[in-house]
Amino acid sequence: MKKIVVVTACPTGIAHTYMAAENLQKTAKELGVEVKVETQGSMGAQNVLTEQDIREADAVIIAAATKVDKSRFAGKPIIEVGVEEAIKDPKSLIEKALKLEKPTNYVEKVQEIHQERAAQRTGAYKHLMTGVSYMIPFVVAGGILIALSFFWGYKAFQVEGTLPWALMKIGGGSAFALMIPILSGFIAFSIADRPGLVPGMVGGMLAASTGAGFLGGIISGFLAGYTVVYLKKLIKLPKNFEGLMPILILPVLSTLIVGLLMIYVIGSPLKNIMTALTNWLTRMSSTNAVILGVILGLMMAFDMGGPVNKAAYTFATGLLASNVFTPMAAVMAAGMTPPLGLALATVLFKNRFTDEEIEAGKAAWVLGASFITEGAIPFAAADPFRVIPSIMVGSAVTAALSMLFRIELRAPHGGIFVIPIAVSNPLLYIGVIAIGTVVTALMVALLKKRVA
Amino acid sequence: MEIKDILDEKMMVFDLKATTKEEVLKELVSILKKNGVIDDEEGFLNIVKKREEEFSTGIGYGIAIPHGKSDLVKKPSVVFGKSKKGVDYNSMDGKPAYIFFLIAVPENSDDLHLKVLAELSRSLMHEEVRKMLEKASTPEDVIKSFTNQARRR
Repeated sequence: MKKIVVVTACPTGIAHTYMAAENLQKTAKELGVEVKVETQGSMGAQNVLTEQDIREADAVIIAAATKVDKSRFAGKPIIEVGVEEAIKDPKSLIEKALKLEKPTNYVEKVQEIHQERAAQRTGAYKHLMTGVSYMIPFVVAGGILIALSFFWGYKAFQVEGTLPWALMKIGGGSAFALMIPILSGFIAFSIADRPGLVPGMVGGMLAASTGAGFLGGIISGFLAGYTVVYLKKLIKLPKNFEGLMPILILPVLSTLIVGLLMIYVIGSPLKNIMTALTNWLTRMSSTNAVILGVILGLMMAFDMGGPVNKAAYTFATGLLASNVFTPMAAVMAAGMTPPLGLALATVLFKNRFTDEEIEAGKAAWVLGASFITEGAIPFAAADPFRVIPSIMVGSAVTAALSMLFRIELRAPHGGIFVIPIAVSNPLLYIGVIAIGTVVTALMVALLKKRVA
Repeated sequence: MEIKDILDEKMMVFDLKATTKEEVLKELVSILKKNGVIDDEEGFLNIVKKREEEFSTGIGYGIAIPHGKSDLVKKPSVVFGKSKKGVDYNSMDGKPAYIFFLIAVPENSDDLHLKVLAELSRSLMHEEVRKMLEKASTPEDVIKSFTNQARRR
């Protein structure tokens, strides 16, 4: 017998919520369909749908006038309507729900989650992420071209006029060099719009040249952005001169302020911090390297593309500007094992997953291989307390191993496609990822219960 | 507590004078005032009207259930009204409404009352209940419409 789960919700929550529920229950009985209705009314949620209810359901109906959290229904065909429809014509509603196609396009769903997250970012985090998102292609292009130049040998680029030299000039001299100015510039852009670009980019260049590194770039970005915002508020010109603001006054004043601050105030202390950090990272003992790897791995898997993951990722990517390449390798490996491990688990331990999850597992192979950690989200959403610890363990192991073997990665993204080019020890790296994948799969099998 | 405990024969009218939706709401709200459930008649009427704008409480089948939740309400109450001629209520099925339940609850109602109100709402979805309400001409008739219904789900 087909089964439907329903959530009814209405702002006042005293009448429509229950009438919709009653009508749907009555009609479902007449149609011979099993139904369980959760009502979200004045009394709070009643008859709450359990994990098992959702698992066994063929479709989900949300008849609500208020926002209902859909994350527990990940992977199920959902139909969302207003409460009145459930009261007016429950029969066609139920019939429509049963005819719905399952969302087989798992990759699209992951993209959706990506976009939802992008829309939710606010405040300082949003500004930082804007800068990072503009920066990454520069690092990818630069990193890969640099790595390509090494095909001819590590010092090959030093011979002028040769291809490796040209590649290094393009990748290292130009693309990489733009990394921090772009980061800074677009952080400022996010805060202050176009006028932020000038002080942001200039501040970023100064951060790079004074050795303040990507941390300096982040600071200069925020500094530039808010300087422009305050200048706009403080300086009020008569109407005829307003046009001078964006063309003359803002660029000159803001760049002057940010520039002076970067050179005399921020540059030196940050340079010391970055030097200390870089030294520590490059000379780290194996034990500390492993500990750092564990931390990075846990962070990457904890929220799969969310803020914690991004913090670890940004840290590793930023370090590329300071010529520290081991955290990047650890971070990418740790970002690949969650989807890969889950995919492996759906193949080896089918009885822990629903049919939809097994289908989703097929796409997860591709997502994992492409370093799209979000591929693990649908699995985690369906069973967070068992899946998330499992992927965290797998990622921690893989990142620790990567750090232990001091594997280096010069490109911030690309998954398996950059392994042959940008990794210091490709075969070993693949082995490390494989181990992490297996560990993840085993953990998942251990923790998850059999599905009926 | 049962539905009959929340239906008060002092708050039942079997021949509503109103002929339009606005008038019906006014008439029902004034009954609340008369029985001391609210002091601010206009305030509560506005709340009910606002809820009405969100979407119509004319659920069809000749029944309407305007309702309002507010601290202007002193205790959870239900006003029952019947109109012989019917009122154009902008209902979901486009037909006039003859039977009205005005539900008033305070902001933080005690669950017991809410539960009963939920029961009432649910019962209205059943044809047997509606049929008995259509024929009801005394408070006992109204109460009987609800108590006869099998409440198994």
